[in-house]
Amino acid sequence: MYILKNAARNITRSKGRNILIGIIIIVISAACAITLAIRESANKIVKSYVEKNPFKAEISMNRNKLMESLREDDKSQEEMINAFNEIKSITEEEVKSYGDSKYVDSYYYTLSLGINGDGLTEATDSLVKETTTTKTTTSTRKFSGGAPSGFPGGGPGGYPGGGSSTTKRTTTKKTEKIYNEKASKGAFTLVGYNSYEDMKEFINGEYKITDGEVNSDFTGNYAVISEELATLNEIKVGDTIKLVDTDNTKNTYELTVTGIYKENSDESNKVTNMFSNSANKIITNTTVVKTILEKNEDLEATVTPTYILKDMNDADMFASEVKTKGLGDYYEVTNNVDDIKEATSSITNVKNFATTFLIVTLVIGSVVLIVINMINIRERKYEIGVLRTIGMKKIKVAFQFMMELLIVALVSLSIGAAVGAFTSVPIANNLLKSEISNAESKYEDASQNFGMTPPDAPSSSSKSSSKSSSSRSSRFNFGQSKIEKVNKINAVVNIKVLGELLGIGVLLTLLSSLASMVAISRFSPLTILKERS
Amino acid sequence: MKKNDVVLKLSSVAYRYSDAAKDEFVLKDINYEFETGKVYAIKGKSGSGKTTLLSLISGLENKYQGEILYKDKPLKKMDLDTYRNSNVGIVFQSYNLLPQLTAKENIILSMDVSKVKVQDKDKKAIELMEEVGLNKNLANRRVLKLSGGEQQRIAIARSLSYNPEIILADEPTGNLDKETENDVLEIFKKLAHEEGKCVIIVTHSPNVCEKVDEVFELKKRSNN
Repeated sequence: MYILKNAARNITRSKGRNILIGIIIIVISAACAITLAIRESANKIVKSYVEKNPFKAEISMNRNKLMESLREDDKSQEEMINAFNEIKSITEEEVKSYGDSKYVDSYYYTLSLGINGDGLTEATDSLVKETTTTKTTTSTRKFSGGAPSGFPGGGPGGYPGGGSSTTKRTTTKKTEKIYNEKASKGAFTLVGYNSYEDMKEFINGEYKITDGEVNSDFTGNYAVISEELATLNEIKVGDTIKLVDTDNTKNTYELTVTGIYKENSDESNKVTNMFSNSANKIITNTTVVKTILEKNEDLEATVTPTYILKDMNDADMFASEVKTKGLGDYYEVTNNVDDIKEATSSITNVKNFATTFLIVTLVIGSVVLIVINMINIRERKYEIGVLRTIGMKKIKVAFQFMMELLIVALVSLSIGAAVGAFTSVPIANNLLKSEISNAESKYEDASQNFGMTPPDAPSSSSKSSSKSSSSRSSRFNFGQSKIEKVNKINAVVNIKVLGELLGIGVLLTLLSSLASMVAISRFSPLTILKERS
Repeated sequence: MKKNDVVLKLSSVAYRYSDAAKDEFVLKDINYEFETGKVYAIKGKSGSGKTTLLSLISGLENKYQGEILYKDKPLKKMDLDTYRNSNVGIVFQSYNLLPQLTAKENIILSMDVSKVKVQDKDKKAIELMEEVGLNKNLANRRVLKLSGGEQQRIAIARSLSYNPEIILADEPTGNLDKETENDVLEIFKKLAHEEGKCVIIVTHSPNVCEKVDEVFELKKRSNN
């Protein structure tokens, strides 16, 4: 214990020297604290961005490959369409098996299905009128478009839209339609979601509820329809709509309209389109779609899965894993890793700059400290000689010197950290300011898009894996929790920064003491005392 | 402690500097026995190896040939730090006190280092100061503010603080006037004759050599 006592006494008795060392450490530690705080803030920003915009992988059609293979065989368009129809769709089972991967944090999928309405008028800018007048002359009528979402029509009660067709009223011509079966049959598209979180069009603001809300019950017979469809059919929130199976008119389904939405996408603003793309899109939950599918096994829904990846580095691994699990040749796994990297690149640069600055500060700091310590040791050679002569062991002498530096370092570090913390708060806040307001407005926007404040825990009792539903519900709440977190960042930064700073300080002290220890062990007390006398 | 016990024995001790030629010895074939209760003077001309011999005996240097036995134990096999802080007290010509400490603190530091068991270290330090003829009022004064004689007395008090059997002094009176020299010598004699310590003084002062019990003269080696 006398070593500590000695160390403390030596510090107070050589104030000048220790104040000088202290000032240097204060400057270094303040610089480190600021840099660490900036780095930490940058980290938080990147992290919160990634949390809000998780790394996602989606399965999409590999059109290049498809066109290549079709072209190779020199097929006619008819053959190409038929060949396209041959390509197996992705099934729910496949989606689930791909999702069962160590790279995947959670996944969700939507089911979409073509369907017809009973007593529902489709929103379309082309119309076939059944004319009862008989004309002997040949008249040519051209139909263009079809349903804006590209329905080829053709189902019972559907309309012969899609492409242009020439009809001569006087001749009986049998037309056989060759159409893409993958695009849904029927006048309407029924899209089923599992939870709020899956409804990315609402989250990103493409769709916005104008009346009512998206029902939080994702199992009941509820639907949300477009404003256009509502106006056309005079449907109000609370009304029911009747849907009919495209293959079997006996199968009818009633859904209660809980909300009416409006599309705000660029696509919908095209002046040449009378209706938006989503005009005939009826939004419901997967349970409803599955019920319809169960009644008629011939129906095939389009499954669109989205996988949330645990790490951006997993994207390629996941893609090849999905391929080995049997994803068809004409599909490919795409991801948004590059987009996210791009979006966070500027802040990542700030972080990298801060890291570089930190390293430079530390290197300069340690060199300065080592040099000062060496000078210190040379100056105190005599003291070392005396201590060694009266029988103090080398290690104890070194320990005493180290303790002296450590005490000075810790005091200076605290002052430096305090100075750094004060200075870094406005810097970090400035960096975070836009992020805070972003998170706030995003949360508000998303709530409004759903037509309400989203509940704390959206019930997603759908069949999709439970691990995904729990993490999804918590992630959807990002709005609220994130705002709190962002506001708390200052405190978090300081505690973590203090810890890091302490580590750095102790490391620096040990490092610079190492030099003195080597010197002390090399000193022979005899030589020192001889030099002195 | 009994008087006239052999506490230190030099047997065929030889020493040469590490950078010296192979046969260029500073000390060669030194044989001597030091007993408790006596004051010894090691005298010799400059370069005869007096201080070197002292550094060997004090355990500050251990690269020598032959054996130095402390109570029949070879020094080479002992932990020299412990030997220095418990068995031997060293007094230097230049006192070698720590300037940032007070007189009392210098004495207590030696007790701390030696781990000797002392009830009240403050009290013991003041007793030691009084023993070497210092006023206890000087206890809290920084050593640099003391005179040479006072500093040397503090150095002696320090070397006594852990009650070693051997006191080694390297030209202890070199920086002192004759009156003070005699005072210091009296202290050494008292320590040897009354407390049974073995006091070894390296000196070239004829006055000191006259007053000690035994004189061990080192001859300057001709091949040097």
